Amino acid sequence: MRIMGIGGGAREHAIAWKLGLSDHKPEIFWIAENRNPGIHKICRDNQGELRTGRTTDAKTIVRSARGWGIDMVVVGPEEPGFHGIPDALEKEGIHCIGATQELSVIERSKADLRRLQWENNLPGKLLFRTFKNAREASDYIRKNIESQPWLQNIVIKPARQSGGKGVKLIEDRQVYLHDEKERFKEAYFDSLQASMAAYSDIEDKILVEEKAWGPEYSLQCFTDGKTVLGTPLVQDNKSAHEFDSGPETGGMGSISGPDMTLPFITREEYDKSLKIVEGIVESIQKKTGKSYHGMVGGQMMLTENEGPTVIEMYSRLGDPEALNMLAMLKTDIIDIFQAIVERQLSKLKLEFTSEDAVVVKVVAPNGYPEKRDKAKGHPVQVLETNIKRNGCYLFWGNADLHEDGQVITGGSRLLALMGTDHTLPPASARIEKTMSSVQLADGWGLYHRSDIGSQQLLAKRQDVAERVRPLYTYREEHGILGSRMGWVPRVGRIDPSHLMLQETHGPEKA
Amino acid sequence: MPGLIGFYTFGEGRENWDASQFIHYGLSALQGRGQESISLATIGPGNTLHTLGGKGGVEEFFQKNKTTLPKGFIGIGQTSSYEDDYLVHVKTPYELALALDGKTDLHENRGEATKLFARQLSQLLHSEKEPLKATSMLINKIGGGYSFVALTHKQELIAGRNPLGVKPLETGSVGFDIAAVASETCALDVMGIDHTGPVETGEVIIHTPEDIRGNTPANSPSSFCSYEYVYLARLDSNVHTLPIAKIRNSIGKEMAKAHPVKADVVIGVPETALPIANGYSQESGIPEEFGFMRTGENIRAALKPTQKERLLGVQLKLNPIKSAIKGKDIVLVDDSVVRGNTLQNTVFNLKRNGAQRIHVRIGSPALVSPCPYGVEIPPRDELVSGNLNEKELANTVGADSISFMTIEELQHAIGLPRQNLCMRCFEKGAGTQ
Repeated sequence: MRIMGIGGGAREHAIAWKLGLSDHKPEIFWIAENRNPGIHKICRDNQGELRTGRTTDAKTIVRSARGWGIDMVVVGPEEPGFHGIPDALEKEGIHCIGATQELSVIERSKADLRRLQWENNLPGKLLFRTFKNAREASDYIRKNIESQPWLQNIVIKPARQSGGKGVKLIEDRQVYLHDEKERFKEAYFDSLQASMAAYSDIEDKILVEEKAWGPEYSLQCFTDGKTVLGTPLVQDNKSAHEFDSGPETGGMGSISGPDMTLPFITREEYDKSLKIVEGIVESIQKKTGKSYHGMVGGQMMLTENEGPTVIEMYSRLGDPEALNMLAMLKTDIIDIFQAIVERQLSKLKLEFTSEDAVVVKVVAPNGYPEKRDKAKGHPVQVLETNIKRNGCYLFWGNADLHEDGQVITGGSRLLALMGTDHTLPPASARIEKTMSSVQLADGWGLYHRSDIGSQQLLAKRQDVAERVRPLYTYREEHGILGSRMGWVPRVGRIDPSHLMLQETHGPEKA
Repeated sequence: MPGLIGFYTFGEGRENWDASQFIHYGLSALQGRGQESISLATIGPGNTLHTLGGKGGVEEFFQKNKTTLPKGFIGIGQTSSYEDDYLVHVKTPYELALALDGKTDLHENRGEATKLFARQLSQLLHSEKEPLKATSMLINKIGGGYSFVALTHKQELIAGRNPLGVKPLETGSVGFDIAAVASETCALDVMGIDHTGPVETGEVIIHTPEDIRGNTPANSPSSFCSYEYVYLARLDSNVHTLPIAKIRNSIGKEMAKAHPVKADVVIGVPETALPIANGYSQESGIPEEFGFMRTGENIRAALKPTQKERLLGVQLKLNPIKSAIKGKDIVLVDDSVVRGNTLQNTVFNLKRNGAQRIHVRIGSPALVSPCPYGVEIPPRDELVSGNLNEKELANTVGADSISFMTIEELQHAIGLPRQNLCMRCFEKGAGTQ
């Protein structure tokens, strides 16, 4: 059997690792934008090869797949799906594990995802509004902030995150800092207006969403369109620095285990989260008439108004969350992929270890994420035997293997180290012990988050979960889960979630 | 003794933040540490350091200087209990502004010692390539007990706590945009910033536009200021992970166990001693009553520089509620006794308004030595407990009995090992360093 992977990060290295462990002994081929040293080695050891090329270019991918005589393709990152790579492969009769272009809209368009949730009145949604431009957004907020108090605490998401303009959170909870927050918000909208003026092809340029708080976690699933199988919960850590401070990254490390949930999420919350993901898969299939086969994930948060809530959806596995899940996976990964291809997932028994907690820590060069040009181009020195001796695993990320055997940093997250143990803190400590095995030969600095998996950070997560849980269970007990009632003098009792349902459904259904 | 704030922003649009707004409210929350002199420094596009200082309190300062506040998206601030005590601005060789709580051992005088420290930091940052390494070298070299925040012309915010760790410093962040440090967690709460943990003893944290980096502090024996737990820190703060409110309650309970007395009511001296009185009442079963009503704003009388101001503070603060005290035997709970004048004033006031017996219970050991780290405990010849025994003191202030906590009792109430608590102000042998 010949299998081909797409993508060159740590997530793809982990997928390749599991493919290499399969009893089906597949020949492994790969296409990535960088020569990931880990994937390169696995391909070579399994009668295949890694070729560099644009992973969003259908022509290149299809040509390579046909040239190699590939039976099945597995797509790692989201971009190939957004660009219709799975569609192109399937048109050629090549099986592909990965969401097709239309279905991947649940990740690509945050506005379409919210609309889908409200149109189908699915649980776990957030209030939102879309705007054609930043000016319209700021005008709307200014006019309605009194009658719709949720507009005080918002997340601003540009439809296209380009030019460094990403997600912005604005919490306006202190009335004495209101003017300051207001001013910042206006200035931010102004800068968005300028930078996004060029995009004339999209309607929803700005998404404004209610800001929720609570513990976050990811639920990654396999689906063949009929069955959605959940995997162990994983928590990623997005802030660059210790104890959740500093700029946003792609993810600095993640924890999971030792069982299907996390120490601060209940089994019941897991089941609810799985239902939510199932609901989204079902709805998007109904809407598009297409079958979803591949991976799907919910980036979830326990929130006071809804309980388990979707923050964003993945149309693929998370990076680094995939590493945790795949480390715990006992079922042969090719058996899973084959069951997806044959639409037989319901017959598959998905098994995970219940003995090991898994910690993953990402190592990035100084400069990431704000000054990537500074983080790029440094030679890497890794003592792999040291890492193994400490019982840890290495997964290469944004690294490039040069012809002379030297690995060079690519400016983004360089690699991930994974440690396992009976509980999370010793697994974390294991990685810390071997952290010095990774260095840059030119003396440029590397950093990672030592707090991931520590007892201290776990206690913090637990604390947040224990403050949110009683709030949403109160709502559950009172039959008002999902409502956001408030009293606005002279306006009366309001419920923005009821209004939103009316808007998306028409008044009779709401 | 100052309260410190450091405010830092990251990411797209950071130049739109106005650090002085956050510093304003952060300092407001720290006024318990002193409010005589206010100063702040900010830095914005162009990397020019602007500073401003003036007489307190915080609200008056920010109102008065509304239009001339330094503009910038990162900054530091200080509110101090000393007159004319402002953050230090060093222009060469490496421009920086520095605010320091506590005292370095570079000079007898606290202000001079801070200036010398700032100059040495400037020198080291100039000569050493790695600012993190330079700063950790410095705090390991320079003795004393201190925490500090510094802002450099390279948009670096440096926060550090010397290995002894006498003075608190806490970190916080919110979203991906804002990080902050503050002397106490209450200031982070007020700024709407989530507390992320203490700056460890011997730790240096440097914020740059690109990242936040910290050194790995050596495991050195730390010694936290016990007076923070008794009096200095605000009730809604955590100091080095310990909640102040809980500790003050334990102090009261510990007092009730070790120094019981028969009485009708427990009355606490506002504000600091109220939770201590509450603990005393809970443990002893003697009901607690509100004994005083405050006029005007909350003033920390003990931190006022002159005797007149201290008495004025106490008298405005302590108008007795006559119905609560008339004809009663009272346990009067206070946090500490410095010169004894305010206690004398209070006891006299209660008796004049009809109180029967008054048993004073102090939620800390007798203050007998000045603080080598800059807490304004006066020289020994001003300290009433350094010179009088409990019986003499009771007679002097007109109380029927007075007892202080022992050092062991206080340590037990705080719950830290003895070697991790600085109790030099309660120890007779301790010198002025």
